[in-house]
Amino acid sequence: MMIIRPVRPADLEGVLALAESAGVGVTTLPPNRELLARKIEVARQAFHREGEPRSAYYMFALEDTETGRVAGVSAVDAGVGLQDVWYNYRLSNTVHASAELGIHRQIPTLYLSNDMTGCSEVCTLFLHEDYRKGANGRLLSLSRFLFMADFREMFSEKVFAEMRGVSDENGLSPFWEGLGRKFFTVDFSYADYLTGIGNKAFIAELMPKHPIFVPFLPESAQSVIGKVHENTGPALHMLHTEGFNFNGMVDIFDGGPLVEAFVHNVRTVRESFKRYALVSSDSSTPAAWNSDELFMVSNRNFEDFRVALVPGKSIKIDTVTLPPEAAKQLNVTSGDTVRLVRLKPGRKGK
Amino acid sequence: MYRVRPARHDDVPGIERLLSQMEARVSTLPEDRDRLAEKIELSQRAFERDPLVAGRERLLFVLEETESGDILGTSGIDRSAGNGTPFYNYRCDELIHSSHQLDVNNTVPVLYMTHELTGRSLLCSLTFDKNRVDQAGRELLSRARFLYMHLNADRFDPRVIVEIQGVQTPDGQSPFWDSLGRHFFGMDFREADYYSHVKSKTFIAELMPAHPIYVTLLSEYAQEVIGQPHPAAEANCQLLHREGFRIGKYIDIFDGGPTLEAELAQINTVKRAKLKQVKRAPHTMGLNYLVGVARENSFVATLAKLTDGMGDVLRVPETCADTLNVSDGDDVVLSPL
Repeated sequence: MMIIRPVRPADLEGVLALAESAGVGVTTLPPNRELLARKIEVARQAFHREGEPRSAYYMFALEDTETGRVAGVSAVDAGVGLQDVWYNYRLSNTVHASAELGIHRQIPTLYLSNDMTGCSEVCTLFLHEDYRKGANGRLLSLSRFLFMADFREMFSEKVFAEMRGVSDENGLSPFWEGLGRKFFTVDFSYADYLTGIGNKAFIAELMPKHPIFVPFLPESAQSVIGKVHENTGPALHMLHTEGFNFNGMVDIFDGGPLVEAFVHNVRTVRESFKRYALVSSDSSTPAAWNSDELFMVSNRNFEDFRVALVPGKSIKIDTVTLPPEAAKQLNVTSGDTVRLVRLKPGRKGK
Repeated sequence: MYRVRPARHDDVPGIERLLSQMEARVSTLPEDRDRLAEKIELSQRAFERDPLVAGRERLLFVLEETESGDILGTSGIDRSAGNGTPFYNYRCDELIHSSHQLDVNNTVPVLYMTHELTGRSLLCSLTFDKNRVDQAGRELLSRARFLYMHLNADRFDPRVIVEIQGVQTPDGQSPFWDSLGRHFFGMDFREADYYSHVKSKTFIAELMPAHPIYVTLLSEYAQEVIGQPHPAAEANCQLLHREGFRIGKYIDIFDGGPTLEAELAQINTVKRAKLKQVKRAPHTMGLNYLVGVARENSFVATLAKLTDGMGDVLRVPETCADTLNVSDGDDVVLSPL
């Protein structure tokens, strides 16, 4: 079965293998052993409430319990830009008007902004190709919101996600070529890589700080502002259905959009509910589940947060019946309180 | 013989004829007759020190051929650039984007909108008939203004500027405008230029974006023409350069043409200017000089061959003295051509 759990130092090889299969564009998962080891350690500290909680970084692994393989990772940053500086462009508007000359023109304008500072971010989502099927993608992504639902006080009111912007098959971003390239003498992949490994200071030092009038950019760059990479379409759709919307911010490198939502409005948070666990004595393998009927179930344990999937028919008025294997992986026993939510938006509640 | 003097009302037809021959338009000289007459009226008041125009004097001189009375050229001085409203330029500046981590130091050219040249002495309205005005006449027309400013130094800001027309395409478009101003106005250069005359340059400038402009984001053509003079202005630039003017950091916000700057006291004509008393002589030999005389509310300048001796007395040939309308003992100002 597939289980979500905190990433552990022992996962380093597995996560590194994942990162190596990712390629350019996944800024937060560069295939760098030292950096990944650091991220895993930072996450370990976060789950153990060591360090500053406002800038804690929680990283989860999706484990295939049959093989022990790390199939994917996802993370939540409790508050971005509190230890370094967080940059976006705000896509804004400048109006030039003169009644006398009969002019009224709206000029889209990019302002360098630190407005997202302190906001929680869902990030570092990566699922290995072999597992891109069934409920895995949703489980990996949405389980983070269950964590936030149980530990709201550890996060900001708003949560956002940076969506990957448009780039071509060679990893060239039209937005980067039309803007950043003019100011940097390094290429996009390298700039992206440096950001990924946490070397962000150079952005502030090299990027233009004054507003950029969009019509000054080449057509190719203008047309991708706020647009996502074609592979990111499904992820964007999923966040839309969770209640996220474009907030006018774009990535300073590839022009990809930021989507955000109030945590209490996120579908997974809003529709989640609690039940008492009832561990079943029937250890027979359940029939293949239809993902439309699946519910995520979390153990509500901060240090060892785990999420599994159960069929909706096992949910009763006060209880949810868990197969012994699921109970074992969730580390719950009968009588523990668990949190549940339908994996896909549909009928409200159960 | 050439004579430079303040423009008068009866010069209107002559100036109109002159303007009709110009290939490039002179931004500070209206072609419309009423507006031209108004400009001359204001200039006369300025020479007469009318308090109603105090601080915003706009002086207009003409170059006259004394034999025919024809108007062969004009030149002007605005006492206060902007004439009481903000005078806009872009200042060409540089930012250094430097990263110690990456060992990168990038020089990033930036244009800042500024009106810090507001109130400086502005040379303007220079036009002449190319076929009838030789090099000496052109020098006289342009440099007589420095003699006037020297004689009336208390009336002028000691910092003198000149805006030089920027590069245009053969069909009268501006590559600089096309890459910058056009985005904000949605009109081509000719149309914007037209409005800047009908309204005012300040009016148009105030519709330009106030944020700094990154030069690297402009078209390559636009970047090339920043601070470059129109080929037709080349000779004028050279003259001003010899006088001590230099291209500074300021360019025109519409066409990107350069602004030249000099200190009045450092301008060659002014540095070498001397005051002497006239002694009329039938004939003189020597070198070419600019000679001018300040009258109550007026000013006249011409060219003459003179010998600048040790004394305070200057022998001035009759023809020149007549042109200047000076008698023995009158003060004149002279500077070598």
